[in-house]
Amino acid sequence: MTPDPSLLVALLLLLVLGAAVAVATARDVLVATVLFGAYSLGLAITWVVLRAPDVGLTEAAVGAGVTTSLFLVAVAKTAPPTGKVAFSLRWSPRALLVGAAVVVVLGASLPALPTVGDPTAPAFADGAAAGFYLADTARFGIDNVVTAVLVVYRGFDTFGEIAVVFAAGVAVLLVLDGEVA
Amino acid sequence: MPGERPYTDSVVVTQTVRAVVPFVVTYGLFTMLHGTKSVGGGFQGGVVVASGVVTLAFAFGVTQTLAALAPGVLRAVAAGGLLLFAAVAAASLALGGAFLDAGTYARLPVTGAAVYAVELVEIGIGLTVASVISLAFFTLARAEP
Repeated sequence: MTPDPSLLVALLLLLVLGAAVAVATARDVLVATVLFGAYSLGLAITWVVLRAPDVGLTEAAVGAGVTTSLFLVAVAKTAPPTGKVAFSLRWSPRALLVGAAVVVVLGASLPALPTVGDPTAPAFADGAAAGFYLADTARFGIDNVVTAVLVVYRGFDTFGEIAVVFAAGVAVLLVLDGEVA
Repeated sequence: MPGERPYTDSVVVTQTVRAVVPFVVTYGLFTMLHGTKSVGGGFQGGVVVASGVVTLAFAFGVTQTLAALAPGVLRAVAAGGLLLFAAVAAASLALGGAFLDAGTYARLPVTGAAVYAVELVEIGIGLTVASVISLAFFTLARAEP
């Protein structure tokens, strides 16, 4: 029997929430960027604790790693340091209104979600796709069902995704004078 | 930042990065290839490899890191990864299956042929992701403010 991870999850969510509030109150973009990295790292650990290591690995590498470095470069190019005030609680009313609206809408949809690992969730119902994936993956000799779903069953999606990544690279080069590498 | 301080090497940073980056890149390749066995895949592995490249750029300077890469190499790799994925997808057509159908490879008389096909796809994904992220980073870092 594994120990109950709910206390750890609660602490991690507290860290994530604290980091999010700190990002929102930071006046200096550089401070906000670094805090945003901490926010992503907290989320990544939460995914791992909730047994979604594939998502956790992606969150850690993309959210905490690459996004932070891209933001750092963008900050170095654009925003001058803002002076002495590092944090401030003065938000614009419009930003508060939009933020509150998003929280209310997302919060209202929360009770409709099944609890984590609920075996009666619609995704695990008889005839749902999850059961088929779990049973059929062995045919290909692939142990990680997530990979099998991405490449085998939804290969067209993944092919489109990688084309989008490539197109994004082309767009970056087109917009920002591509005589780089 | 730009114009204020000239770029200076720190021995601690460059030596640490020199020691760490080979392991980061190796772990990225491991993540790409290990996606069929356990946690991982081309997207994650590609990002890990790219983070190794970005770490190099932070430690040794963007211009210096770029100079170590042959011109056009990142673009060629970005296109090559996509083409590798397309080639694996189209090869199943040539073998009498449907486009992108891994089942075609599973029917081949080679043990684990489908796994190899999926791993080739993951390598293609990883190459494109790693080079596009590196390209985006270098292009942003070199852009005029």
